Amino acid sequence: MELLANLQLGFEVALTLQNVLYCFLGVFLGTLIGVLPGIGPVATIAMLLPATFALPPVSALIMLAGIYYGAQYGGSTTAILVNLPGEASSVVTCLDGYAMAQQGRAGPALAVAALGSFFAGTVATLILAMFAPPLAEVAFKFGPAEYFSLMVLGLIAAIVLARGSLIKAIAMILLGLLLGLIGADTNTGQFRFTFGLPQLADGIGFVVVAMGLFGFSEIIANIERRARREVVMAKITSLFPTREDLKASWKAVLRGTAIGALLGILPGGGATLGSFAAYTLEKKVAKDPSRFGKGAIEGVAGPESANNAGAQTSFIPLLTLGIPANAVMALMVGAMTIHGITPGPQVMTERPELFWGMIASMWIGNLLLVVLNLPLIGIWVKLLSVPYRILYPAILLFACIGVYSLNNSAIDVALALAFGFLGYLFIKLDCEPAPLLLGFVLGPMMEENLRRALLLSRGDPTVFVTRPLSLALLVVAAALLVIVVVPAVRRKREEAFQE
Amino acid sequence: MAEFCRDPPYPSRRTWLSAVLFVFGACVASTALSQDYPSRPIRIIVPFPAGGTADLLARQIGQIMSEALRQQVLIENRAGAGGNIGADLAARSKPDGYTLLMGTVSTHAINPNLYPKMPYDPVKDFAPVTMVARMPNLLVVHPSVPANNVAELIALAKARPGALAFASAGNGTTQHLAGELFKKMAGVDMIHVPYKGNAPAVTDLVGGQVQVMFDNIPVSLQQVRAGKLRALAVTGPARSPVLPELPTLAEAALPGYSITSWFGLYAPSGTSPQIIERLNREANKALATAQIRRRLTDQGIEPAGGTPGQFADFMRAELVKWGKIVRESGARVD
Repeated sequence: MELLANLQLGFEVALTLQNVLYCFLGVFLGTLIGVLPGIGPVATIAMLLPATFALPPVSALIMLAGIYYGAQYGGSTTAILVNLPGEASSVVTCLDGYAMAQQGRAGPALAVAALGSFFAGTVATLILAMFAPPLAEVAFKFGPAEYFSLMVLGLIAAIVLARGSLIKAIAMILLGLLLGLIGADTNTGQFRFTFGLPQLADGIGFVVVAMGLFGFSEIIANIERRARREVVMAKITSLFPTREDLKASWKAVLRGTAIGALLGILPGGGATLGSFAAYTLEKKVAKDPSRFGKGAIEGVAGPESANNAGAQTSFIPLLTLGIPANAVMALMVGAMTIHGITPGPQVMTERPELFWGMIASMWIGNLLLVVLNLPLIGIWVKLLSVPYRILYPAILLFACIGVYSLNNSAIDVALALAFGFLGYLFIKLDCEPAPLLLGFVLGPMMEENLRRALLLSRGDPTVFVTRPLSLALLVVAAALLVIVVVPAVRRKREEAFQE
Repeated sequence: MAEFCRDPPYPSRRTWLSAVLFVFGACVASTALSQDYPSRPIRIIVPFPAGGTADLLARQIGQIMSEALRQQVLIENRAGAGGNIGADLAARSKPDGYTLLMGTVSTHAINPNLYPKMPYDPVKDFAPVTMVARMPNLLVVHPSVPANNVAELIALAKARPGALAFASAGNGTTQHLAGELFKKMAGVDMIHVPYKGNAPAVTDLVGGQVQVMFDNIPVSLQQVRAGKLRALAVTGPARSPVLPELPTLAEAALPGYSITSWFGLYAPSGTSPQIIERLNREANKALATAQIRRRLTDQGIEPAGGTPGQFADFMRAELVKWGKIVRESGARVD
């Protein structure tokens, strides 16, 4: 068994006292920055890069990786407690997680998120160990046409994501698409909606929009319903999930893990889609979809598992090919280069101790995260009983620091505030911000890949149906659309009959 | 200072006197300043995201310089608008030696020729400190492309005009302009496919979605070594020590073809010559350390160094050269 021998090598590397310590340091730092809204892993890893010069390369990379997936864990904490998503992937956690917190069930939500993430992390690490090279090949089958079809599927899923009015959901998606257009067009270099401001040349950051629409707007809205909030504090019941909670969530965890692991492999934004897709799936398979958005525990368990599974499998393109899938991975490439390792397809064979050591450390890191996070739940929940007038200014302050640290740009903070007021308007109008964010993320990628696919096909639009993977994705999208539309049609017909 | 002298149309004796005193005072202050320079941390603005070549160069050299200067050297990433945001910030910073810029071929040679409205002047607003490093781009093709050398690639492109596509890291990047120059000099037609950055472009190249790329050497070198891509030539004026068997494009088929990406340290203009001289000395020392030289050359990057004057001359020549390439390529960003 080559795999066992490799894993043994990996654990021998990862289980030395020094490496366990650095792994712990990494996940601990990651949890911390994940909890501080907006301060992301990119800024943290960049700051710590020089500090790793003195470490052996394996220890350095183990620590940096720990910061990344530790932050994914921590990010869900603020999403659940105070409706502040620090990462694209925690946006959907806000929907039901925050609703649970408002019902005094923040403890179970946090616990299920942690347990689900641990399970997902374990499975995804195993997948990484067993199938990394063949899975990397799958990622290469995804050309621009396939990405476009995947984005179409994602946008249709966004409609399912919304609760309430379908028209409003579509309007929000369109608004998201428009906001996503801001910045230089990749294909022609044209500036769109930048109003001559160079700061807008690369578009608006996702965290800026998410922070404003979810976090800031919620804080504004909370000021007017303060009385209700104090009632919430009083009725915190148990910290840990009940038997029914666990029964309701284990399937969601399984499904979330599968979806997240699968989408995480794709370097072009797949990881972002994972938690959205998991949420959509849970809502579709649920017996009573109307519970979603009002504190359904599956709505936390599924996306959180997907999110963590994706965080692990997104290492596949980096570890097998040396190609970074996102900004954090790009930094890891930088870290490897500084340590004299040139990331590329040979790392796996030339430096097996590094490849397998990192994989083994990810499992250890996930274990450490559960051990670290379960006892912390009590503390986090207590944090909610801090008086509103103290807690919220503090959150606002940290959020502003976080937004500023993204690009060291004051304009970003101002923009986040503007989105905060916009989000407050949306709350008043009863419009959901989640579809807007999905449109915002998917729109630019969709356009980019559509035009790239057409460039490569020399303008022939049939590429989308002649390439089998792309066709399959479009068929799924069409099926999903039918599922969404048909009940609506049926209802209309019934209404018509009644009249 | 220019402002100060220009403003009052008929300067009275008192303004003259105060001007003289001001200049004198400023000189005294600046000598005093440069004697105990640096007395606080120095920041190097990197106008690109963390993890890229410019960022890693700044971090590695900053680390060594900070030991010699006995002050922290902080790296601040200010990405955006092709590097213009960070470069503009550096241009408008106080010329006291505590703000530096890791400029590149983009911020100081390509962008001024590409953007219709530039927030800064690459020559007037900066005092060059030293060139840091340079590297050629690598002409790579997907292994399925039936061309084993540059001549065969040109023949293939001529036989099937528009059938080959070349990827780039975006409009107006060296990857893009190297491709356009190739098209023009070889008289062939290839489709340009821009991506948002290097990584997605290389992914699609390795996946065979696009066929050709004039990539930055550190990125694609490993893919070439692993057989995922085939290298045909380097774009620089000389062969690269990491792939010595590979010809330059000029040797292979296109005499006169030469494209090099480069990185250099700048201070805002008006920084005192003593400080520039000190920074130049420390940067050159850092670039001469064996560890840095080995790390850079392993990746196909050539450590540079030299005097501020040499760097200024080089940059002026580059501005002219890229002006011609940008005009002829028809690349636009607005």
